[in-house]
Amino acid sequence: MAKLYAMSATAAPTSASTPPPKRDTGTPVVRFSGVNKSYGQVKAVQELHLNLHSGETVALLGPNGAGKSTTLDLLLGLRNADSGTVEVFGSTPARAIARGKVGAMLQSGGLMEEVKVRELVKLACDLHPRAYPVEKVMQSAGVQDIADRMVNKLSGGQEQRVRFALATAGASDLIILDEPTTGMDVTVRQAFWAKMREQAAQGRTVLFATHYLEEADAIADRVIVLHRGRILADGSAAEIKAKAGARRIVFDLEGPIDEAALRGLPSLTTLSVSGRTVRIQSTDADATTHAIYGLGLYPRNLEVSGLGLEQAFIAITDAATAEEAAR
Amino acid sequence: MKTLVKLEIIRTVRNKRFMFFSVIYPSALFMLIAGPAKNDTAIGGTGLTMPLYYMVAMASFGALTAVLMGNSERIAKEREKGWVRQLRLTSLPGRGYVIAKIASAATVTLPSIVMVQIVAAAFKGVRLDAWQWGALTVSIWAGSLVFAALGVAIGYMASGDAVRPLTMLVYFALSILGGLWMPFTIFPHWLQETAKWLPTHPYTALGQAIELGNAPHVKDMAILAAYLVIFVGAAAWLYRKDTRKA
Repeated sequence: MAKLYAMSATAAPTSASTPPPKRDTGTPVVRFSGVNKSYGQVKAVQELHLNLHSGETVALLGPNGAGKSTTLDLLLGLRNADSGTVEVFGSTPARAIARGKVGAMLQSGGLMEEVKVRELVKLACDLHPRAYPVEKVMQSAGVQDIADRMVNKLSGGQEQRVRFALATAGASDLIILDEPTTGMDVTVRQAFWAKMREQAAQGRTVLFATHYLEEADAIADRVIVLHRGRILADGSAAEIKAKAGARRIVFDLEGPIDEAALRGLPSLTTLSVSGRTVRIQSTDADATTHAIYGLGLYPRNLEVSGLGLEQAFIAITDAATAEEAAR
Repeated sequence: MKTLVKLEIIRTVRNKRFMFFSVIYPSALFMLIAGPAKNDTAIGGTGLTMPLYYMVAMASFGALTAVLMGNSERIAKEREKGWVRQLRLTSLPGRGYVIAKIASAATVTLPSIVMVQIVAAAFKGVRLDAWQWGALTVSIWAGSLVFAALGVAIGYMASGDAVRPLTMLVYFALSILGGLWMPFTIFPHWLQETAKWLPTHPYTALGQAIELGNAPHVKDMAILAAYLVIFVGAAAWLYRKDTRKA
């Protein structure tokens, strides 16, 4: 848990070189090897290689149409790959599911209608080989207050909570959540994250797809950026930010500003000067700041801050798009 | 799986409109067709009177309607909404889903079958031995399970807009050729020979044999049992293989 919180709080420039979090080196929980999936002309997933390890909390991040849902469908055996193999706990997805190893909440997963929430949760518990008591499941998913409501009379956010209850009805080792906080307002979303963290803290492997960058940043200890069916980046949130030149240095200078000298600063990726204010993006803020003083300058109101994952994400996907266009 | 069967039955009973019409409709049709006929009008070639013939025909037809239409359309809808996708992420085996759907269909058919018999006895003077009433109820009810399984399979074979036309086609073909609407004996010989192998013909033949005071023919039961196995197998297979529709 400490690791999770630390991730969002510290984005030290050296994080790119810190050793990766301790991982179980046994059989991967999920293994994709050379997986391809097309819908007609559209290549939804291309040459996907991916291993998930026990205990990781992984965000699958990407814009709409990046291949997130297809990846999860393949993982759950709801679709078959055109080529390549998908293994879950060393066997087929169907077998892993039959053994109760996987709990999943789908974006497109409907709910049974004309039944009460409690009845539906009871059903999920009944169908799980290692189920928890119904009341405990409802409490930990936060659906006790709507236990006696009919499923077809719920709001979007309430439906999501019920789906979460179904996904966590038993002691599954892998929890898959496809855009779980869609339709939730901000406070409900925060509460939901806490529920997700609880799942991760119990040692489960959690994989969730999202296009909320904030969510990936705050919860995941590993972020996989998916773009047009390919993996663009795979690392901790801090590493992803670093990859995009992810520290921002802002300061004011007195007197004339020598832009050419500033442009020669080490590790600098972008520079903009407006009035007396200088804005720099750097891959190594320590080296850049040191060199600013080295130039004999006296920066005022110096601020060094982490670039949001959002900006990092935009930078990475823009670069990929430009690269593709150039080819 | 017990919970799923129970829930499917609860849902069906809660759907009051569907319940009401499914239960009333066969009796209403029976009165419409057999009502005007004299109680002793015989139907050529069957050895049965008009009320007797149509009592079995309408009880069977009502059961067929409820299970075939009810199941195929509801399942197609559930697939579209994604509930079946969610259910496939549980350890539920394919046959569990099919059994639950058949159980919920059977909840509707039992009262509708009994209702036709009550109406026939009360208004058209149908008199049978006690064992015959009991055997009729059981055989028509058990036979309807075959069509419930067919309904599940159709709900999986077709999606969206194609479900209703396909169901209607199967439904009319089975009803007419099986002799549910008009006596089987009025068909030309070659058609009678072909229609004998459809599941609806042995289905009504069970009831007619009981009305004549005989035991149902083994051949009819065998044909129905074979169809049940085929339909349940197909439905379970289609449920597990349903990777096309999101």
